[in-house]
Amino acid sequence: MNILLKSAKIIDPNSKFNNEIMDVYIKDGKIDQIAKSINYKEKSDTKNSDIEFTYENLHISPGWFDLHANFGEPGFEHNETLDTGCNAAVKGGFTGVMLMPNNIPSIDNRSMIDAILNKTSNLVVDVLPAGNITQNSIGDSIVEMHDMAEGGCKAFTDDKNSLMRNDVMKVAMLYSIDCNALIMNYPNDVSLSKNGVMHEGKTSTRLGLVGIPYMAEAMMVDRDINLLEYANSRLHLSYISTKDSVNKIKIAKRKGLTITADVALHNLFLTENDINNFDTRYKVLPPLRENEDINVLIKALKDNTIDVISSDHTPISDEHKKVEFDNALNGIIGLESAFGLLCKYIVPKIGLSLLIEKISINPRKVLQLPQISINIGNTANITLFDPEKEWEFTADDIKSKSLNTPFIGTKMRGKALGIINKGIFKVN
Amino acid sequence: MSILSVNHLLGIKYLKPSDIDLIFKTADNFKKILNQPIKKVPSLRDISIANLFFEDSTRTKLSFELAEKRLSAEIINLSSTSSSVKKGETLLDTVNNILAMKVDIIVLRHPNPGASVFLSRNVDAKIVNAGDGTHEHPTQALLDAYSIREKFGNVNGRKVVIIGDILHSRVALSNIYCLQKLGAEVRVCGPSSLMPKHLNSLNVEHFSNLDEALEWCDIANILRIQLERQNLNYFPSLREYSMRYGINKKILDKLTNDIVIMHPGPINRGVELSSDVADSKHSIILNQVENGVAIRMAVLYLLALKKSN
Repeated sequence: MNILLKSAKIIDPNSKFNNEIMDVYIKDGKIDQIAKSINYKEKSDTKNSDIEFTYENLHISPGWFDLHANFGEPGFEHNETLDTGCNAAVKGGFTGVMLMPNNIPSIDNRSMIDAILNKTSNLVVDVLPAGNITQNSIGDSIVEMHDMAEGGCKAFTDDKNSLMRNDVMKVAMLYSIDCNALIMNYPNDVSLSKNGVMHEGKTSTRLGLVGIPYMAEAMMVDRDINLLEYANSRLHLSYISTKDSVNKIKIAKRKGLTITADVALHNLFLTENDINNFDTRYKVLPPLRENEDINVLIKALKDNTIDVISSDHTPISDEHKKVEFDNALNGIIGLESAFGLLCKYIVPKIGLSLLIEKISINPRKVLQLPQISINIGNTANITLFDPEKEWEFTADDIKSKSLNTPFIGTKMRGKALGIINKGIFKVN
Repeated sequence: MSILSVNHLLGIKYLKPSDIDLIFKTADNFKKILNQPIKKVPSLRDISIANLFFEDSTRTKLSFELAEKRLSAEIINLSSTSSSVKKGETLLDTVNNILAMKVDIIVLRHPNPGASVFLSRNVDAKIVNAGDGTHEHPTQALLDAYSIREKFGNVNGRKVVIIGDILHSRVALSNIYCLQKLGAEVRVCGPSSLMPKHLNSLNVEHFSNLDEALEWCDIANILRIQLERQNLNYFPSLREYSMRYGINKKILDKLTNDIVIMHPGPINRGVELSSDVADSKHSIILNQVENGVAIRMAVLYLLALKKSN
């Protein structure tokens, strides 16, 4: 299939044509030509399979990549499957996702990596499974990292099951050096946060809910940075939510440690106040914090202390959300609504170009994946979008198997129009 | 006749290269005797030796016993399972009680690093360290270096890689000291999680890749690997260890040079070493065991000699 994109504004710091409005011709999955005006009839050699795409205010960027998504399969197929998760990613404009290993059975051996890669190889979205750091994700004994890395596993994490044992984390970091694997951890000292259901602050006090204190995150950020300094490996801290963490990571980066970090997108504009009256749709981990945290997190995006914005797409079926607040599971689905929310709330503060770095360029950098710039001769891995489109998010926009989102009915700004990946063009 | 510069054998790091030379030359003589029909000499006829093994041991214990018997020493044995240590007696009390029975030399195997150094400062007997925790195992290193010398004519200039758990290995530490004193170049190989943090303070480089290590070396000394230590796994599984660091014939056949394979025993066959290598012409593992007796005879003889001076 050959595709001609007419008058597309290219947003890609690694492209020669960054910020220019160009025609882009894609032939057999590769970017064949970029020029002010390409006549598709002249280019076309197999007219039947050619597509000319015209859209007012069309923007394109390297395909977006979500660093933290949960697709449920295997183990939680009632929430999401690999297929439905990929459909959600396409709808949201993502050409790649890294799956968090919150599965049964655990993603703790080579055959699980092979299984997920096999099952998703024909899908238009690049699916990279992260492996668990520890066997059965229980935090006691590290997994066969070399074998899994050879199978294509780029990162290891126990995700929200934060790795508590210092000695095991130390061994994991040291062991990861030999296969150049990335260790990811969500910093959350469970001994301090275990009964908490929301941020510890004025709202938790008003509602009588057990809070998760700032220090639960801060102490494990400190621990991880200390261990990183000892082991000198590669570390990524996931879902940073507090101003204290940002400051600690900033210092670690200044010291030259190989550390990166991300923030979940909802932690960039929602606060504890949104929980209002026990609304479980806003129950997430890390919990929604305070305005002051949001301000510091936004600054951290600008000064590159935080490298990546992730969706933390976490599908949860109704029976685990329509329950008492204490009993509700943490999480929001995030892929379909990500761009509309980010353009509305974050772009006014950091600009479109930086946003594209946080959701496309940097996630691949963190994982040491090949960069995919929009230049002639490169493989076409592209997201098409309109950053100014105003629209309302409805249940029809959700391709995920679960509907756990507080954003149905929200007025969005900015929309993903489609993706091009693996020679396939998907238009929303 | 030359004598040792030390009164005890506590570790290789306390020896001078000339001490090691002397031990080797003495061992040469004993090795000749061991190959004669009458293997026993009366050298230590008046000497009493206590073998105190506070940690399990098979070959080291047997090797020492045989060495002592062939020197005609009087020996007594104590192991932790049958000792008064179980009843709460301190190490010092146990040893002083034994010394009250007029014992000249103590051979000590103990789980705590520095146990033999501690004893040497506090009791009036010669101490031979037969392995103290993760500190040193000097007679093993001596017999390893002696076996290299036997195979190649000398140790100087040889490239030796020690493969396995360097972090917890007294054999590795003693070997590093011994081989370096004799002019060999020593490097180590294994997962980064099994390397001491300050490895470079020993002037030892680390290979994380086995093929590179084997291509570099003349001799590979392979350590026994153990999955769990103090409730912590330092690597994920014996399977992955074997895949990354296990040596088999196929790997050796790929190398441009012939290398010599050593192992202090006991071998986990199929884990760190496959049978087709352990039992091959590359292996000098049984020579190591044979040399162990001659080396231990030499050490005990030289220490006893020192006493009578």
